[in-house]
Amino acid sequence: MIERLLEVARRRADGGADALWRRVERTSVAFEWGRLKAAGATEEAGANLRVRHRGRVGVAGTTAADVPPDDLVTRALASAELGEEIDLGFPASRPPGSPLPSISTFFDRAAGASLDALIAMGRSLLERLEREGCQVNVAIDRETAQVRVANTSGGAAEYASSGVAVSVDVWRIAGDDVLAVGDSAETADFPGDDVLAALVASVNTRLDRALRIVAPPEGALPVVFTPSGLSPLMLPVTQALSGKAVLQGISPLGGKVGERAFDARFSLADDPLRAGRPSSRPIDDECVTSRRTALVERGIVRGFIYDLETAARARTQSTGNGERGIFGKPVPGYTNLVLGVGGPVPGGAASALGGGLLKDIRDGLLVDELIGVGQGNVIGGAFSHPVALAYRVERGEITGRVKDAAVAGNAYELWNRVGAFGNDARWAGSRWASSVLLEGVSVARR
Amino acid sequence: MIDRLAAALKRSRADYTEIRVERTWSTAVTYRGRRLESATASEDQGGFVRVLHAGRGWGVASFTSLDQLESMVARAGELSRAVSVDPPIRLADVAPQRAEAALDLDGDVRGVALADKKRLIEAYNGAMLGVSDRIVDTLAIYRDEVSEYWYVNAQGAALHELRPEVTLSGTAVARRDGTIEKGLESVGLRRGWKSAQDHESGFRAAAERAVALLDAPMVRGGTYPVILDPELAGVFIHEAFGHLSEADFVYENPQAREMMTLGRRFGKPVLNVGDNGAALGLRGTLPFDDEGTPTQDTALIREGILVGRLHSRETAATMGERPSGNARALSFRHPPIVRMTNTYIGNGKGTFDDLIRDVTLGVYACGAFGGQTMLENFSFTAAYGRMIRDGHVAELVKDVVLAGNLFQTLDRIDHIAGDFRWNQMGGGCGKAGQSPLPVTEGAPHVRIEEALVGGDVPA
Repeated sequence: MIERLLEVARRRADGGADALWRRVERTSVAFEWGRLKAAGATEEAGANLRVRHRGRVGVAGTTAADVPPDDLVTRALASAELGEEIDLGFPASRPPGSPLPSISTFFDRAAGASLDALIAMGRSLLERLEREGCQVNVAIDRETAQVRVANTSGGAAEYASSGVAVSVDVWRIAGDDVLAVGDSAETADFPGDDVLAALVASVNTRLDRALRIVAPPEGALPVVFTPSGLSPLMLPVTQALSGKAVLQGISPLGGKVGERAFDARFSLADDPLRAGRPSSRPIDDECVTSRRTALVERGIVRGFIYDLETAARARTQSTGNGERGIFGKPVPGYTNLVLGVGGPVPGGAASALGGGLLKDIRDGLLVDELIGVGQGNVIGGAFSHPVALAYRVERGEITGRVKDAAVAGNAYELWNRVGAFGNDARWAGSRWASSVLLEGVSVARR
Repeated sequence: MIDRLAAALKRSRADYTEIRVERTWSTAVTYRGRRLESATASEDQGGFVRVLHAGRGWGVASFTSLDQLESMVARAGELSRAVSVDPPIRLADVAPQRAEAALDLDGDVRGVALADKKRLIEAYNGAMLGVSDRIVDTLAIYRDEVSEYWYVNAQGAALHELRPEVTLSGTAVARRDGTIEKGLESVGLRRGWKSAQDHESGFRAAAERAVALLDAPMVRGGTYPVILDPELAGVFIHEAFGHLSEADFVYENPQAREMMTLGRRFGKPVLNVGDNGAALGLRGTLPFDDEGTPTQDTALIREGILVGRLHSRETAATMGERPSGNARALSFRHPPIVRMTNTYIGNGKGTFDDLIRDVTLGVYACGAFGGQTMLENFSFTAAYGRMIRDGHVAELVKDVVLAGNLFQTLDRIDHIAGDFRWNQMGGGCGKAGQSPLPVTEGAPHVRIEEALVGGDVPA
């Protein structure tokens, strides 16, 4: 379909065009409060077209399969008429002998898994998570996708992908005390028993430790953030490392390439070529070949992520981070964020809470989830959030769950007060990280 | 279209089948700083089928190609049969509605040129940029859509609607050295082009606030009497209480059901809370929900006592209560789940001055950058605040984050003014991966006798 679109666009737009076509099929099962309640199927296809005409760029998208190519091109041209002038070039065809990076994105076992296999996986998780006085939700989604990207400069590529996402949460309500502990695993292949066992262990460990409620500590304290608890510290940094924020002049890290801004043990990269990850891909949504991008190395800022348009405006190269939906323009987006030196794809992720960082803490906190992350002035780095799930650590041991406490600080300052990184690195969504001990974090109670 | 859907229904062998089809035309124009970032027109269409065989689970299917309608009805049937559920899923009765309802398009946005929409938002963006050299960045977005909507179910419902929507949003970023502050303006209505006019002053005020906040001190963390302005009070009641009143949270969870027993006291007698999907012209307003149930004004808290909750047909049947018209889906890509519409705190008595007269030291928290509830705890961030000193509004303060326990905080609402108003903000609500669903909130000024305000935390 996009070849016909590009053919029409080549005739009508003087600066060329590119397009993406994506077809997604999804099967899902949902266990609600311990019971299998629903099974679902989704089939979706659509195309996104971008044209450059008289120096200006416009886009149009549709999910209506019956739209004639001419109409979509007309809409894209109307959008371009109002658009800004950008010196946007489309990547040309690949020279012979330079194949796309070899990364497996499609796994037959995931794509071919039957509905019964998904239901069986859910039941097995349910059984392993069941406990007195608790309710369990399990959701499993299996997705396959075909993506084709091409442009009028001869660039063209396509690939198929698969992915399975499993999420579980366990709820315990006792009087007015509500406790929910959840976790999820996303894999490109059908998840093995090791992945499910790690998921169960992660939830059960955190739940066991949460049953006892203790008073929160107060003051400037050592605080360990778990891999999933790191979000308030990572969100400002990832926003600041987007080329788009740098161009807008709102990134505190803009203009700091080559400078040290973080603890010397802090490294961060975007890596679309990680094996087995559903965000991995050989090519981005603008036909740019995927590659690993170093963002921070040993505390020193190395670069930012760009798509074609932000790269053109910043007079640099796209890093292959073009992310494109069916509607709207491509934007720079992360694939797999890897914190620290990385490591193997997790199998039996360590179930010890705290990643070995608790032993020297006399009085402090272990934070697994905060409430309201992402609100307010995120990119500035300052945050102040009540805890959703956090534990008190006394004399090196978790003594119980704390409620009614808030954690505050500035992400950029705290990344210069790292006590240590833990030994429990794992994927939390599309972020690979271990637990991190930070010194002197403000903890307030009420 | 209705005939085609009815024919597909007839061929379904399930005990219950419903089909929804949507075709949505939308445009969006975005300015960032002085740059027009994008101006696009899109067309999205697709269908959703939900099927129930007796004693089985829901089978659902969504698709973008309408050619697949019949095969997807069959597919949903297979999925339903693959899932056994005990006790069986039941649906509360709703009289089947047949309606041809055109909401007031208020100047059909489909007849307005993209260039005119660009000019409108360019002017609003210009109003922010013109405030001061300190405004280093702006984001101004115009978005509209008209959705044509068809719904049929096996019990005879047949609905055809045109649903308009227009939203304007502005973010002004002010900067001086390392200090960055922002101001927000947001307008969202289930209306059209006419209602998008004459909003310059709101955008200008957002930029002025961002600049003023550069000089404002951070609020000192601690416990204060807190007065919420109507906007923040609305966000508060949505986040801190509304989600718990959604019956899918309690209907099959015995402990949650006990916590939310009707008749339980949640607040002082001044407190009244409800959800009204039938209010005129608001973002959460629709004649019917996505199960074909008429929307209504549902009392949730009356004089401090829990008296109702929000239902789908399934949750209502399980709990032996009546459907309230709150089963909503974000689009044809999603199943209907229990959601709020226009949620409000009912009007009280007196004025804002009556609320602050006897406050020696307090915080007046205004506007909302966002809010989140997690379990019985909530956190929300005011756009800005003012200290209250000796019964008067005093200096501007920033970084006002309110955090607390829902039950304690609702019980500490001790005074509600008589100056109710609906928020007409854009944005929306997120739940179960369906975001942003158009909702709005309304409230008068509300006083919490004691609440924790985060800010700088004494170390």
